[in-house]
Amino acid sequence: MNATLAAVLALLGLTLVKATPLIYAALGGVVSERSGVINIGLEGILVAGAFTSVVVSGATGNPILGALAGVVAGMALAAVLAFAATRLGVDQIVAGAGLNIAALAAAAFGLVLVYHQPGASHEVPALGNTGERVLIVLAFVAAAALQFVLTRTPWGLRVRACGEDPSAAEAAGINALQTRFWAVVIGGAIASLGGVYLSLAELDLYSDGMTAGRGFIALAAIIFGRWTPLGATGAALFFGFFAALQYSLQRAGVPSELMQALPYLAALVALAGFAGRVRAPASDGVPYVRP
Amino acid sequence: MQAVDGVDIELQSGEIHALVGENGAGKSTLAAIAYGAVKADEGSVVAGGVVGLVHQHFKLIERLRVWENVLLNREPRRGWVIDVAAARERVNRLAATYGLAVDPDAVVETLPVGIKQRVELLRELDREPTVLLLDEPTAALAPSEIASFFTTIGALAARGTAILVVTHKLAEVIAYSQRVTVMRAGRVVARHVTSETSADAIAREMVGGEVPALAARGSTATAPLLEVRGLSARSATSTLEDATFEVRAGEIVGIAGIEGNGQTALADALAGVVPFTGELRFEGDALRPDDSPASRLRRGIRVIPQDRRHEALVLGWNVRDNVVLGRQRTLARSQYAEAAREVIERFDVRPPDPEATVGALSGGNQQKIVVGRTLAAHAKLVVAYQPTRGIDIGAAVLVQSRLIEARNAGVGVLLISFELDEIFACADRVLVIANGRFAGSFDRATIDRGRIGALMAGNV
Repeated sequence: MNATLAAVLALLGLTLVKATPLIYAALGGVVSERSGVINIGLEGILVAGAFTSVVVSGATGNPILGALAGVVAGMALAAVLAFAATRLGVDQIVAGAGLNIAALAAAAFGLVLVYHQPGASHEVPALGNTGERVLIVLAFVAAAALQFVLTRTPWGLRVRACGEDPSAAEAAGINALQTRFWAVVIGGAIASLGGVYLSLAELDLYSDGMTAGRGFIALAAIIFGRWTPLGATGAALFFGFFAALQYSLQRAGVPSELMQALPYLAALVALAGFAGRVRAPASDGVPYVRP
Repeated sequence: MQAVDGVDIELQSGEIHALVGENGAGKSTLAAIAYGAVKADEGSVVAGGVVGLVHQHFKLIERLRVWENVLLNREPRRGWVIDVAAARERVNRLAATYGLAVDPDAVVETLPVGIKQRVELLRELDREPTVLLLDEPTAALAPSEIASFFTTIGALAARGTAILVVTHKLAEVIAYSQRVTVMRAGRVVARHVTSETSADAIAREMVGGEVPALAARGSTATAPLLEVRGLSARSATSTLEDATFEVRAGEIVGIAGIEGNGQTALADALAGVVPFTGELRFEGDALRPDDSPASRLRRGIRVIPQDRRHEALVLGWNVRDNVVLGRQRTLARSQYAEAAREVIERFDVRPPDPEATVGALSGGNQQKIVVGRTLAAHAKLVVAYQPTRGIDIGAAVLVQSRLIEARNAGVGVLLISFELDEIFACADRVLVIANGRFAGSFDRATIDRGRIGALMAGNV
C-alpha cells in the first residue's frame, strides 16, 4: 500500500469519526424541526449526553449504563424545550439558547461537584473501539430508519403535518402539541448519542467545551440537508470531512489556528450559498396555540 | 356579545340548504358549532352520522401530497407502515365516484385553487359524511367552476347527504338551493323555500331594511392619466406578465379575476413596493422601479391595500392619527382634528369619535377610515384592492359610492376585485386577468358576463 492511499484512507476514517456526532445531532434536530420546533438547544443536548454518560460510567463502572444515562439526560433536556415550546408557547430560539447556556454551566459545575476539579473529569471506563464502531454504524442506520419513518409511517406523516400546518393537523384529529412534544423528546434522545460518542467512544472523559459548537454545525447540516435525515447525514459527512482535513493539513504544516476554523468556514460558505434556495417546514419555529 | 343566539335550524337529508347573512351575522360560527369546532353555550346539535366541514380558507397542508392530505390521520396501513398503494387507490376511487378527478400524488401547493378545493372536498367525503357544511365554497372559484361545483354537490345531495352552504352570494342561493335560512345579528330572521322568494327579498332581510342605493354616475371628461406598457412584476403570491392598459382621469377600470392571478403583483408594482419591468407613465411622466412609494404619494397615486389590518392601519392608534398617517407632513398639527372629523362625517364612521382606537372598530368602519384617508388627500389615481372585502352591505355601498363620486370628480380608479358584481356595479371598463396576463377588455356597454367568466377561468 503506498503512502498516498494510506493517507486518503486515514482521512476518510477520520471523516467518519468527526461526522458521527454531527449526524446524531443533526438527525435529532431534523425530527424536532419537521414537527415544527426549532432545536437551538442541540449543543446543550450534546453536553448533557457527554457529561452524564461519563459520570454514570465512572460511578457504575459500566459504560453501556453510562451511555443509556446520557440518552435519558438528553431526552430530559429536550423535554424541557418541548414543554416550553408546546405548552408555554415561548420563543423557541430563546428557550433553546437558554438550554445551551444552562447545560454548559451545569456540566462545568458538575465537574467540580463530582470530580472536585474544574476543566475535565477523570478517565472513566469507555465503550472502546468496538463501541465506537457500533455507534458509527448505528448513526447511518438511524439516518436511513428515520428517513423511512418520516416518509412512510403514520407517525412520520403526522410529524410532518404538524411542522407544516399544526392547525390543519388538528382539524384532522391529530394532537399537534403532543406530536410536537414527543418529536422533540425523541430528537433529544438521538442527538444525545452524539454527546455519548464524543465522551465515551472517541475519548474516555468529559472536558469543558468538548462539544465545540457541534450542535450549531448540526443546525447548519439540517439546513444544508434540506430537513431530511439522509440529506442532513450527507451534510454532516461534508462538515466532518473538513474537520478531518484540518488534522491532515496540520501535519502538512499549515497553521493550526487557521485549520481549526475550517469546518466552521465550510458551514458558513455552504449556508451562504444554499440558504436562500431551501425552505424550512412552513411552521418551523412557530408556536402553535389552540384557538 | 353572542355571535349566535337561540338559533334553530334543521337540515333534511338530500337537500341543499343555504344559510345567508352579512359578515358578522353568525353564520360561520353556527357552522363551526354544528361541526363541533366551537362549543355552544346552550342548546345542542343532533346529526345522524358524521358531519363534514369544508372551510372557506382551505385547511390543506400545502407541501404534502393529495393523498396525504385526504387521508391524514386515517391512512390505510400494512403493519405499522402506510400502505401507499392502497391510499392512492382509495383517493382514485373516491375521485371517480364523485367526478372530482385529481392526481393523488400531486403536491397540493402545485395545484390551482379549483383543484385544491376538490382535495378539500375529497377529504371530507372520505369520512362519508351524512351532513356536509360548506363555508363560502365558491369564494375562490371561477364562474364556470361554480356551476360544475354545484353539479357535484347536487349529486352528493341526491345520494342522501344533507348539505348546508354558508354564503353571501345570493345568485347562487337562488340557482342551486332548495331552502334558505337568513341570519342577522346572530338570529334567524327568515326561512324560505327558495323557489318562493327572490334575491332582492333575501337581501332586504339580510340588511334589515332597504339596501342603500349606489351613487349615480355622472358623465366625465376623461384625459389620459396612467399608461402601462408591457408591465411585468412579481410579488410574494402572484406574478404579472406583460400587462398593457391605461386608466383615464374620471373613469373606473375594473380588474376582474380570481384571487392569485397577478392582481397583487399589479397593485404592488403600481404602489412602488416591488420591482417591475416595462413602462409606467403617470400624467406623461415615467414612473421608475426605484422611485420610492413616497414619491408616488406626492404625485397623487394612492393605494387602498387588500389587507387593511396589516397594510393600512396602525390598530393601536386612534382614528385621528390613522386618518392623518401619510399626510403628517402636509397637514399642520392644528388641522389634524378637522381632517379626522371630515372623514368621520363623510364616511359615517361609527362611533364618530376621533379618539377611538381603530383596532376596536368593526371591519367596515376600519375600511371607511382607510378609504376616507385615501380619497381625502388630493388623490389623482386610486388603486383600490378589494375595497369592500369582508364588510357589511351598508358599508360596502358607501365605499363604492365614494369611489364613484371620486370618479365623477375626475379621479382615475383602478378597482381590483374578486367580486364580479362589484366590478359590474362600479366599473366603466373591465379588464380580465388570468394566470398573470390580461385576457380581455370590455366597455360598460359591452359587458358580457359569460365571456368574462370564461376568460377568468383561463379559457380563451
